[in-house]
Amino acid sequence: MTDNFTIYLVDDDLGVLKGLSRLVRARGYEVKAYSSPRVFLDEHDMAVPGCAVLDVSMPGLDGLEIQRVLTAASGYHRPVVFVTGKGDIPTSVRAMKAGAIDFLTKPVKDKDLFEAISRAEARDAESRRLHSEMESIQAKVSNLTPREREVLTHVVAGRLNKQIAGDLGTVEKTIKVHRSRMMEKLGIRTIADLVRMAEKLNPSK
Amino acid sequence: MLHAFNYTFPATALIADGARKRLLERSPQPLEIDADFLDLARNRDAEYESRMATFLQTKYEKRPPDVVITLGSAALPFIVKHRDDIAPNSPVVFTSVSPQNYGALRLPPKITGVISEFDLDKTLALAERLQPEASRLFVIAGSGEVDRRWQSTARKTIEDRKRKFDVTYLFERSYSNLVEEVSKIPRDSIVILLTVFADSEGNAFVPARVAGPLSAASPAPLYAPYDTYIGNGIVGGFVETFESVGVRAADMALQILAGKDPATIAPQTNPGQAYRVDHRAMARWNLQENRLPPDTAVLFKEPTIWSEHRGAVVAAIVIVGLQSLIVGALLVQRRRRLRAENLLRESEERMTFAAAAANIGLWQFDRHRNELWATEHCRAMFGIARDAPLTRDMFLSAVHPDDRQTANQLFKRSLETEQPAISDVRIVLPGEDVRWVRMRARSHSEGGGRSNHLGGIFIDITEQKSVEAEVALQRLEVEHLMRVSVLGELSGSIAHEINQPLTAILSNAQAALHLLAQDSPDVVEIHDALEEIVHEDNRAGEVIHRLRGLLKKGERKAEHVNINDLVRSTVSLLNSELIGRDISVRLDLDHAPFLTRGDSVQLQQVLLNLVMNAMDAMASTPVAQRSILISTGAAQAGMVDVIVKDHGHGIRAKENGRLFEPFYTTKNHGLGLGLTLCSTIIQAHQGKLTLVNDERGGAIAKFSLPVEQPTFDTA
Repeated sequence: MTDNFTIYLVDDDLGVLKGLSRLVRARGYEVKAYSSPRVFLDEHDMAVPGCAVLDVSMPGLDGLEIQRVLTAASGYHRPVVFVTGKGDIPTSVRAMKAGAIDFLTKPVKDKDLFEAISRAEARDAESRRLHSEMESIQAKVSNLTPREREVLTHVVAGRLNKQIAGDLGTVEKTIKVHRSRMMEKLGIRTIADLVRMAEKLNPSK
Repeated sequence: MLHAFNYTFPATALIADGARKRLLERSPQPLEIDADFLDLARNRDAEYESRMATFLQTKYEKRPPDVVITLGSAALPFIVKHRDDIAPNSPVVFTSVSPQNYGALRLPPKITGVISEFDLDKTLALAERLQPEASRLFVIAGSGEVDRRWQSTARKTIEDRKRKFDVTYLFERSYSNLVEEVSKIPRDSIVILLTVFADSEGNAFVPARVAGPLSAASPAPLYAPYDTYIGNGIVGGFVETFESVGVRAADMALQILAGKDPATIAPQTNPGQAYRVDHRAMARWNLQENRLPPDTAVLFKEPTIWSEHRGAVVAAIVIVGLQSLIVGALLVQRRRRLRAENLLRESEERMTFAAAAANIGLWQFDRHRNELWATEHCRAMFGIARDAPLTRDMFLSAVHPDDRQTANQLFKRSLETEQPAISDVRIVLPGEDVRWVRMRARSHSEGGGRSNHLGGIFIDITEQKSVEAEVALQRLEVEHLMRVSVLGELSGSIAHEINQPLTAILSNAQAALHLLAQDSPDVVEIHDALEEIVHEDNRAGEVIHRLRGLLKKGERKAEHVNINDLVRSTVSLLNSELIGRDISVRLDLDHAPFLTRGDSVQLQQVLLNLVMNAMDAMASTPVAQRSILISTGAAQAGMVDVIVKDHGHGIRAKENGRLFEPFYTTKNHGLGLGLTLCSTIIQAHQGKLTLVNDERGGAIAKFSLPVEQPTFDTA
């Protein structure tokens, strides 16, 4: 089950919800339909691959808020497709900036919806792949000793062994040992790979 | 009563008459009155006299008189001489005795009476006054005893008069000579007639009788001192009225009869002398009345109708007077009536004019007689010919068939209740012209019973109606415009409401298409999709239907409206807007389905307005508190209350009392007509709209409407 790509439909309008569910289901997707955003959030399982198709204006929580909650919950970006009855530009801009796949206007054409869903599917797969890669890196990083982690930081910063030894108050030789052990633990051979990995871990730096 | 002369002698007869009447009138006891006539004028010999005395003596021997009244001067000497034989000791009351005679007689006791002085002097004075120009005086006297006494008295009296006349004494003549002489007397002379008891040839006369022929023969006026002559042709004189002499004598006799001593009763002289004249004689000789002495009695004055038929005249005058009064009263009455009629007519004309000017027709109806009265204007209003007889049916037939029952009920109601009743009906005029007429009727009973009189007015209110209709139309226009403007405001939300089912429909249809494209199509799923399409299409249709209702311009309808349904429908119309504004709506609707009668579109407009106001009021309320409560309930029997409560800013102090004013608005884009219209609509539905602040914050809008069928069926 967990492998099946699932479409999460959230719309307070039952008619619309049922219609969209039927359409998406007809295309062969797994569908989970929610008329209440709260229930959706409570039951949501990030681990399941899929995409959220959200109505923008709903009582209580609107689509954009749900998107924000979903994003804040984990580093993982659940792809979101918005459907709205009143497609005003400010709302759509905000949605897209927050990482929405698409912003569709009701009544939604099946082609548009499926195209958005398939893009979401790809995004989800990519996102999932990145996520798992990250997780393995993080797992490897967590195996490092504190001294190895210090060395990693200095290496990624582009410092030479000699400089690092000076900073840490040790000799170059000791640094070399830490460095090779760290590279080994992380399964990385070149410095370039190490830097790329470090960037993935901490994109802001 | 002892008469000196015979029965026909005027003077004595008058005295006797006066005395007799007085005696009978005044005597306390019944009196027996005897009369004897000595007839001494014609029989003067002593033998006759003694025979007469013997006769009387014999006559009264057995019943002597208690008192003797003598009449005529000759009777006193007779009774003095023979009293002892005829009526011994009987008192005697005499009359017609001259002072000279009285003095000459030596009267025995128990004799008293009335002395008559025939006043020639005053008679002369009268003649002189009436004939101041006269210079000749003729004096007539006969040859008898009394006549001769007068001859000497006359000469002396005339000599004593100041005024001197050329006097001719016609004494001692034969009667025929006398008459001849008298006829030659010139016109401007004065003639004094004394007495003619006998002429020179010895013929006896009654002096009063002589007066007539002599007067007739004389060209000049005759005067005499004797009352009895008056009426026989003479002008008059200073005379004794013989009746008064008789009355005086009777009074004396009565005193004596009552026991008074005759000696104590002194003889009286001339008790009733006065100037007396004969009006006819005055006229004959053309003598002027204004020359008469004062207090002169004028006799035989041309008897006036008044004096002759006094009673009849009085009666006639009274009758004429009464009739005049009646006629006068009737005339006054008539004038008053005419004036009242005029006033009434004027008043009626004024009223009719005013009524016609005000387009009012007046009418009255008598049920008993089935008679109808109406002003001309009424006829004109109902298109009834001027001369056509009026009946109630005629009026009713002019009424529009649809309104006839209304008119009939009006008549009936006002006859039963005596309360003024008013109804508006349409009148169809001959030219198919329809006019509105307000009928106002009121009955007035007479005497408490069931009233049979109906009165009232017809007012042509066609113009008023058309103005009202125009106003209503304009109000409808405004209401419509307001609805359109509200819907304009909501257009986005409403579009969304339609968009939702459209989305569902499209999704289902496309799903079905996808399913059909599969190798083994899932028929059940396709069926469900199609059903869903139908359902969603209906839903879209409903929204459009609602919209169309609100957008439609139309007359106000009167239909059954379920208030709870109306609330739900309104909220669903606002659904998207509410979501868009983060406002939640809670409904607290009574189980009882309240049915009211009215126009659902208008009532929905009111609800829509109130909810929109609530929404607007909460623009700056924190999202968590943005909620509206709409509740329905029966606060009192027969009414439903609809309450819209918000948590907004409430009614600000400066707005209070002005919210229902037209064009008063607190919103930036408001027209200020929303609440004004709402109030008008609710009032048109016999309801009331109020707006108050909730103590816990926010405002409460409430309207009450009459419920048509209070039903508690919860099903």
